[in-house]
Amino acid sequence: MSEQLSLDPISLKKETISGNLQSTMEIFNSFYSIPINSDVKVRNLLIGGLNKKASIIYISTITDSQVIENQVIKNLLLNSDDSKEVQDILSTKTIKNVEIIGDILKEINKGNVAILVDGHSIAYIIDASKFQGRSIEKAENEVSLKGPKEAFNEQAVANISLIRKKIKNESLIVEITPVSVRANNELYILYMKDLVNDELLQSVKERVNSLDVASIQNLSLLEQFIEDREKSIFPTILNTEKPDRAVAYLEDGFIILLMDNSPTSLVLPATFWSFFHLSEDNYLRILFANFIRSLRILALFITLFASATYISITNYHVEMIPTDLLLAISATREIVPFPSVIEILLMEIAFELIREAGLRVPSPIGPTIGIVGALILGQAAVQANIVSPLVVIIVALGGLSSFAIGDINMNFTIRLLRFLFIISGALFGFYGMAAVFTVILFYMLSIKTFGVPYLSPMTPKYVSSKDTVFRKLLQNQIFRPGYLKPKDMDKKAGE
Amino acid sequence: MIKRKQLSKLSCLFLMLIFLSGCWDQLAIDERAYAVAIGLDKGEEENQIKITFLITNPELSRSEGGQGSNEPPREIITFQTNDLISAKDMANTVIAKQVTYTQLGYLLVSEELAKDKNFVRLMYDVAKEPEIKRGVRLIVTKEEASQFLEKTQPKLETRVHKFFELILEYGIRTGYIPDTDINKYFRITEAKGSIFLGIYATTEKDTSDNRKGEDNFIAGEFNAEGQTNNSEFAGSAVFKEGRMLGTLTSEETRLTILLNDTLNSGHMLTTFPDPFDREHQVVTRLVKKRNNEVKINLNGDNPTIDITIPLYVEVLSNHSMINYAVDSKKRKILKNDIEERITTKFDNLIKKTQKEFKGEPFGWSLDVRKQFPTIPAYEKYNWGEKYPDLQVNVSVNINFGQFGKQSEVPALEGSGD
Repeated sequence: MSEQLSLDPISLKKETISGNLQSTMEIFNSFYSIPINSDVKVRNLLIGGLNKKASIIYISTITDSQVIENQVIKNLLLNSDDSKEVQDILSTKTIKNVEIIGDILKEINKGNVAILVDGHSIAYIIDASKFQGRSIEKAENEVSLKGPKEAFNEQAVANISLIRKKIKNESLIVEITPVSVRANNELYILYMKDLVNDELLQSVKERVNSLDVASIQNLSLLEQFIEDREKSIFPTILNTEKPDRAVAYLEDGFIILLMDNSPTSLVLPATFWSFFHLSEDNYLRILFANFIRSLRILALFITLFASATYISITNYHVEMIPTDLLLAISATREIVPFPSVIEILLMEIAFELIREAGLRVPSPIGPTIGIVGALILGQAAVQANIVSPLVVIIVALGGLSSFAIGDINMNFTIRLLRFLFIISGALFGFYGMAAVFTVILFYMLSIKTFGVPYLSPMTPKYVSSKDTVFRKLLQNQIFRPGYLKPKDMDKKAGE
Repeated sequence: MIKRKQLSKLSCLFLMLIFLSGCWDQLAIDERAYAVAIGLDKGEEENQIKITFLITNPELSRSEGGQGSNEPPREIITFQTNDLISAKDMANTVIAKQVTYTQLGYLLVSEELAKDKNFVRLMYDVAKEPEIKRGVRLIVTKEEASQFLEKTQPKLETRVHKFFELILEYGIRTGYIPDTDINKYFRITEAKGSIFLGIYATTEKDTSDNRKGEDNFIAGEFNAEGQTNNSEFAGSAVFKEGRMLGTLTSEETRLTILLNDTLNSGHMLTTFPDPFDREHQVVTRLVKKRNNEVKINLNGDNPTIDITIPLYVEVLSNHSMINYAVDSKKRKILKNDIEERITTKFDNLIKKTQKEFKGEPFGWSLDVRKQFPTIPAYEKYNWGEKYPDLQVNVSVNINFGQFGKQSEVPALEGSGD
């Protein structure tokens, strides 16, 4: 016993438990620092019938006391039959035998109950975990009018349940793999066994398993660890908080990652179009869906180019605008002290400030920000001749349009690229804007995420349902995206 | 580390490249003076011109806070110069901002200068200057262009460019002035043998009563009374080989537009004497809905052109009170009468162009070209020389449309029936 205790904790974890209950309990007491550690409980009892001493160890804050009382303790105490094994006495739904100390500790840490019986060199593990968390609520970031409203919450089990609710099929696989050494965070990899490309799955697993970090608390952190290009301005992994959207991707052969403590799922590999689309696009009738798609692409270009175009036109290409408009712009610009670049940048930064401050402000003060922002920055700036009214219109239009890109990652991309265009427009006019746009297109074409080109299936072209800027009729969406190389391309029911 | 050092050096170089090469042609929108019209007159010395800039004042567009501007809507300066291009810099002696031609829409030339033999040389300044668009309208003024610009003071359109834009747009729609610009001027001048029509305008009233008919007049003869702007736009200036030769009246301009498929024909409201009641007129709207049929025969001793003009005619009103809508015989008589009248007018116009101008403003050279396998063959034929002796047969084919909004009229005493 003393020999065992003298081992350092790391090598001790690899040992198996002995049949001596007292010595085993001493090991566990030292691991959990009982009684300093207040919520780790030990219940000692004598099993009826068998007349054996037993100890039950669990962490009270993450276990279900109902299960422990009714299904474990009660059965053990009230047993009178001496021929029964321990498994036969307990009425719990699962029971697992574990020998190694480290594994027993892991199980207890997960909220399970360990039963140690004197004379038995195994621990009986009973599933009784119950973590506190939110219930399933409405999606807050990806608002949809017509589709399902429920969203993922911070419990992976609930999230998987939401997904299983939508795919009732045995080929949906939920794999568990640990991603961090210390905090024991677990990652759930979901995929359709008969659809997913094995190489893709393998490369995802390899990347996840190659991580060597102490703790990865949630998916937002994991996302940054497994990305192809961490410093790129373009996101390559999609976050979605809607199970219906995740399922749509699963059924196309994508891989979904889930984790406890993350109210989202990760979809990989994501292309540019994944960020551009919404689940609403498929729920709306085709005409309406393509209408909002065209609005969205318009909004994207307005956000990118509105301010830059204004600068280019007013500084380099005056001949492009009709005389009336030109005179109107010229008249309002005449009394503004700054060059138009400064004017635009001033308003753009002000808008970004309002947006960021409005996001961080505690909700009781929220409305004030709106009033102050709109009133002071819009009206007063114009009246004080700091900016011209047209610039307020252009910046406000660009700012509003940026909200049409719902995905938070892509939203940042577009907002930052806008500044690049403003600067290039200020330096070289349309020529500069066109050059920067070309460079960005080149760059986008060079991006690959888990081997999938970023702009596919548009460029390079793959067999797919051609769901890019516009979508087709649902009846005509007969192919899974070819760039994923799924095992079954055909989406028709015939399997 | 070495790699990173190189990278930072390279990016520094790249940044310097951008900042050193950027912005070089930048000029803020509010630091320019926009010449919307330019007037050209003969200078005091040979080969010199007198240039007039009509610069519009953008201040007028500002209205926020309700306070309008007290500044005048325009600024006019006139000075002597050699050419159009260096005049931009010279203007800065008196104009605070940099003069630009980007919004230039109208080039006004005095009749005197347009008839000068060196006028073409001056016009090629316009072709060379990159800021001037080819859509600029060429307007010939009877008096000096500087006078015209000064006297053009529209009562309602305070912004002068708007006045020009609107009056020309509706003038073109009615057919009193031709739809031409300097691009056409260059094209026709370089093609040789054809005639270009410019817009004719004046502020001088001609009280000698030369007016030949109700809608047969030229700028200056209209003589409107009341409180209005004095400038009139009607008729066209005839240019051959880039130089002005004479003028066409408003009616002749309309006829030319009907004969010429390359000019836009609008809706022409006009009147004809009623065949059943010569004292009264038939008010009609002429619309050309299809292109003319042109048949050219250049072979033999008597080259001919047969041209058929399809016309859609709506009788809007007739004071003779004859109900043409129900009487097909009378309609036929009316049709023949109008066709005959128009054909005579066409014949007279064509004779005038053959004798007086020795060139055609009808765009037929484009059809003639198709008769030759190659352009050199066409050039060798020398269309310009052959035209004056050409036999041209014009026929008009009328289709009637409606006969007024209400076709039935009460039978009046003394009406034709």
